[in-house]
Amino acid sequence: GGRIWGVLQVQIIWFNFETVQVTWNASEYPGTNLTFLYRFDSGDTYDQCTNYILQHDLTAGCTLDAEQDEILYFSIENGTHPLLTQSHWISYYLKPGSPRDLSFLWQQEAVTVTCPDLLYDGFLYEVQHRSTFDTSWQSQEEETCNVTIEGLDTEKCYCFRARVKTTESSYGPDAYPSDWSEVTCWHGGQPTDLCPDKLLHPKFTRFIL
Amino acid sequence: SGYAQNGDLEDAELDDYSFSCYSQLEVNGSHHSLTCAFDDPDINSTNLELEICGALLEINCLNFSKLQEVYYIKTKKFLLIGDSEICVKLGEKSITCKKMNIVKIVKPEAPFNVSVIYREGANDFVVTFNTSHLQKKYVKNLMHDVAYRQEKDENNWMHVNLSGTKLTLLQRKLQDDAMYEIKVRSIPYSSDYFEGFWSEWSPSYHFRTPETKRAEEMD
Amino acid sequence: YNFTNCDFEKIKQKYQKTIYDDLKEYMNGTRSTQFNSTVSCNNRADCLAAIERLTFRPPRGCASLAGEAFALRTDATFTLQCPGYSSAQIHNTQAAKKRKKREVTTNKCLEQVSQLLGLWGRFCRTFRKQ
Repeated sequence: GGRIWGVLQVQIIWFNFETVQVTWNASEYPGTNLTFLYRFDSGDTYDQCTNYILQHDLTAGCTLDAEQDEILYFSIENGTHPLLTQSHWISYYLKPGSPRDLSFLWQQEAVTVTCPDLLYDGFLYEVQHRSTFDTSWQSQEEETCNVTIEGLDTEKCYCFRARVKTTESSYGPDAYPSDWSEVTCWHGGQPTDLCPDKLLHPKFTRFIL
Repeated sequence: SGYAQNGDLEDAELDDYSFSCYSQLEVNGSHHSLTCAFDDPDINSTNLELEICGALLEINCLNFSKLQEVYYIKTKKFLLIGDSEICVKLGEKSITCKKMNIVKIVKPEAPFNVSVIYREGANDFVVTFNTSHLQKKYVKNLMHDVAYRQEKDENNWMHVNLSGTKLTLLQRKLQDDAMYEIKVRSIPYSSDYFEGFWSEWSPSYHFRTPETKRAEEMD
Repeated sequence: YNFTNCDFEKIKQKYQKTIYDDLKEYMNGTRSTQFNSTVSCNNRADCLAAIERLTFRPPRGCASLAGEAFALRTDATFTLQCPGYSSAQIHNTQAAKKRKKREVTTNKCLEQVSQLLGLWGRFCRTFRKQ
């Protein structure tokens, strides 16, 4: 989601500790090429963006290399007139990469899903699963990428997906969860392309005594 | 029972005044509670008071109020960092004192709304329940103990531990056409900052398993 | 005071389980990104020193934060987890506690607390996976 500062709606995303993308909606300044000046906490002079994002041939954003956890100082200007001058921890806008190399270890009615942890603490690894009889995904999350899901029926087909979430105390409320990993399906402890998507008409009977 | 025992008893004569406590955080809005009782129920506690000092916000000490044989505090002033000292007092004289850390004697509130739904096509039972701790700031991470038994099997409880509030029981693992009882309790998650004791059990839920298809086809 | 010998893991736990909620409650719905982040730190001891400075020596326009729950908990945490902190700091915090009656929340105070959220967040992000 974008943040509205002043008249410009600006969105910042720090993609997986690698690049920062700042985009703005300059509908208030039609036909104008706005300028993006920036520096990181470790630097002292402002530089102009060298990698603009264009929209209808006009500047609409900037992509910066950024691998340090620092404060980004930036100014968006119309000619030499600054429209917006801000400074924020880029971690506040981190979007981690999706979990990679998921592995599944089945033991009777439980599966342990693992993947390489990110380098730092402050993340939650969420694994969702559902069988063909479930109308929605069921979530479980742990502080490391080692999530055990119990109570599974070896006779059913299950699909799984995983993502990385940031914790608020470390990354603030505005950071983004990663995209979901690819969905993988299993039946009787064996991988399968997909689960037969026959959602039975749920004959639910609630027992009230 | 859910109380912290006294680890370092003084001499024999003071053993009678040993006491145990548990805390409940955000039990009433943002108010916490601390409940203590003497381990010896036969003790004459008429003139005995309890006081807590240390690890409190903006104040040094708080006095317990008394309800029959239970001593009770309701406050927002727990610092939740570091040890407090709780003393049994007779007038101004402290008879015995004990160091306690409020965050290590937490007793969660009992789960509620236990419900079981049978899914005919899936041949299983979906058990769900609720806990007030999902909305709390502090004690959010709980381990739940789901216990179920066939009603005629007095003490043959089966247990499943989980951190979520939804569980599936497979039909083939239960007796056909039988009455079951199921209940849930909670304890602070082991590796969390907050530790403590099991909650009380939730109210029980009762359900009957259907007759299997073989029985139905024979009818 | 040099925070190098503190028990950083325990400090992080106490922050994440108690102080963070206090800071959020103090902000009372104001998003910390509504203020510019201007105070930075890059290692644990450096971050704790900046946190201590901003918590107990507020800027002009913000009378005092020392009486706030997050400050009392920060003080208790440092006293518990940093050898010699209490004796080194007792003069400052006792004096602060005397002035401590809950102060009006000014915009300057909100900005200061948003910087604290940034510093504490940076402190937490210094912890690598074991």
